[in-house]
Amino acid sequence: MNGSVIQVERVTKRFSGHTAVEGLSLAVPKGGIFGLLGPNGAGKSTTIRMIMNIISPDEGRISVFDSGAASRDLSERIGFLPEERGLYKKMRVLDHLTFLGEAKGITRASAKTRAGKWLERLGLADWAQKKVEDLSKGMQQKVQFISALQHDPELLILDEPFSGLDPVNSQVMKDVVVEAAREGRTVLFSTHIMEQAEKMCDHIVIIARGRKLVDGPLAQIKREFGGRHVALTFTRNSDRANRVLSDRSLVASSDDYGASAEVQLAAGGDPDRLLKTLVQEDVGLSRFEVVEPSLQAIFIAKVGADAANAPANEVHHA
Amino acid sequence: MHKIWAVIRREFIEKVRTRAFILATILGPVFFGVLAIVPGYLMSRDTGIKRVAVVDATTTEFGNRVAAALTAARRGRGAAAPPRFEVTHVAAAGREVAVRDSLVKQTGLSEKQAAGFEGLLLVSDSSLVTGRVHYLGNNVGSFDDMREIESVVRPVIVSERLERIGVNPGEAMKSMQGIDLVTAKVADGRLTGESGAATFLLAYAMGIILYIALLIYGQQIMGAIVEEKTSRIVEVLASSLTPFQMMLGKVIGVGAVALLQIGIWTGAATLFSTYKDQILTALGATATGPLPLSLPSMQPDLFLVFLIFFALGFLFFAALYAAVGAMCNTIQDAGQAQMPVMMMVIAGFFSIFALIRDPNGTAARVLSYVPPLAPFVVPMRYSISPLSAVSLSAAILTTVLGVLVVVWLAGRIYRVGILMYGKKASFGEVFRWIRAA
Repeated sequence: MNGSVIQVERVTKRFSGHTAVEGLSLAVPKGGIFGLLGPNGAGKSTTIRMIMNIISPDEGRISVFDSGAASRDLSERIGFLPEERGLYKKMRVLDHLTFLGEAKGITRASAKTRAGKWLERLGLADWAQKKVEDLSKGMQQKVQFISALQHDPELLILDEPFSGLDPVNSQVMKDVVVEAAREGRTVLFSTHIMEQAEKMCDHIVIIARGRKLVDGPLAQIKREFGGRHVALTFTRNSDRANRVLSDRSLVASSDDYGASAEVQLAAGGDPDRLLKTLVQEDVGLSRFEVVEPSLQAIFIAKVGADAANAPANEVHHA
Repeated sequence: MHKIWAVIRREFIEKVRTRAFILATILGPVFFGVLAIVPGYLMSRDTGIKRVAVVDATTTEFGNRVAAALTAARRGRGAAAPPRFEVTHVAAAGREVAVRDSLVKQTGLSEKQAAGFEGLLLVSDSSLVTGRVHYLGNNVGSFDDMREIESVVRPVIVSERLERIGVNPGEAMKSMQGIDLVTAKVADGRLTGESGAATFLLAYAMGIILYIALLIYGQQIMGAIVEEKTSRIVEVLASSLTPFQMMLGKVIGVGAVALLQIGIWTGAATLFSTYKDQILTALGATATGPLPLSLPSMQPDLFLVFLIFFALGFLFFAALYAAVGAMCNTIQDAGQAQMPVMMMVIAGFFSIFALIRDPNGTAARVLSYVPPLAPFVVPMRYSISPLSAVSLSAAILTTVLGVLVVVWLAGRIYRVGILMYGKKASFGEVFRWIRAA
């Protein structure tokens, strides 16, 4: 497929007796936010490291920008945030960012200016001359984020960008990522937090145990997953509500959070009938809404089904 | 190329900025200064005149002569120099034991008690036959004092003996003057004006500089790589730099730091030894004359050879240290895994001591072509007697080849190793990395 920013073709990677990624193919289209989803140990980081040319695949090929060049030689056009964050603790923040910019291939002077601007933007200007080790963990993560963005890359590859961030920083980073996509950059990020992916991604791929389970634009995936879903919240008599929800003539499956649930109606199931029954049982409904399936529901259904079919002796490898 | 410069600059600047570097660079010269100045200063300050009683049990003039010789001894040269001893001559023929015992009571007392002696020198007629003179004192541990007393007493005894057998002591002394083998080094058909001893000193100094640089900075490279692995910064770097760029940048950057530090140290050492007397005078102490060994001058060609082999040796061992660092995940692991590399460095260093007696022998010639040892052996040989152009180029060529092989191997180990977390790699695994990468 041409026009893809990243093309991964039938890639396999094994680590001493254990297959981390198996026959994986995916294409990241230009522009927009692409989510690489999967449970822990699914092979997300391995895939990203192969895309970044940090490790090489045993089989298959990967091309970035349709160029045939290794992504390391294209580092000027790619911003990368690895899952394992690390900085030189003793270096000063501005020096550090300047160095990382240079390592990406931009000139020293321009690296310095851009790093300064980004520090300003994320509220770290006062810390530019401090050593990295003097910064709080949240600030260090911002610095790391800047290092991925400061050279204005066309493609952003972020491995678990929001893990370990507090809600405030998470919000700041999210805004930065969304803005980058709005400016026409392509963003690929991996996560196992479905709510975040659902709100941000245009296109997702779900992988588990090294294999691809779902691939496509988010809206299309939801459509194809099908079924009618109802989101409901009740305020009392939850035992009676649960009895209703386990009636398989009404409900095919339910994702129960105690006081709220997302349920998939049984084939031929009728939301009116479900509503009527729940009202009769006096569960104090505060929400009853016919919805599209959530990504969480799709994820659980797909990954759960895959895990049920799989031999259980695999070693997990992050 | 631009990226490698960035790595080199980062290594250099960050290292030079560390407190450890600044401290070591300043303390080095202070240490040399103390070494060069303090002994001279202390010696010149030590003007205390030693009070010595000569217990004279002789029946001839011999005892008087010994006392006179001690009185005439001066500290330093020239007539104006202060006397060394304050001599009390006690005639004690026939009752020397009683005199000795009574004087011992006044000897070795604390300085506050003014009356008394530092020591007693017992001379008797038999001293001339046995050559034995007794000294009882509180300063018998002072090498200087004992040497001085001995050197004063010996000629008195010798000339006394000569006179007794009817020989003119003056003539005899003249004819017994020892011979001196005065050495001077010839290089390239020219006299260099250096003594052989000074040349040895230079050969050792070059070996020590390389040895210290390798041990200190090689281990620093290793530690820094382990740290990059544990802090995971290596992930970010590996996405934009090739492992080879990372490794070479580190080795060259740290190498430049080593050269800077050694340059400062050598400069300071040279300054201190050159201006030692001026500094002593400024401190109010008398100058003590030149050092027993003058610092040898370094010919430009030798300096060039030294620099070439310093650079090659540094590359060779630093690449090995980098590979060891990449294999390990903790400093403790690295400390063990570096042993083979360290043994090679030590072997190189000691080969200097083994070969310096026969710098052109078969062993020395063969070892000049062994890459890990050549950086130590070749400059040492060259400083003593220059190698022919052919054997010098051959030695450089084999060392360069060795460096290329080692850098290539280390690069492959590094490439795989830096992304391997978990346990330390076994040598079997490392071998697989080299083949697979």
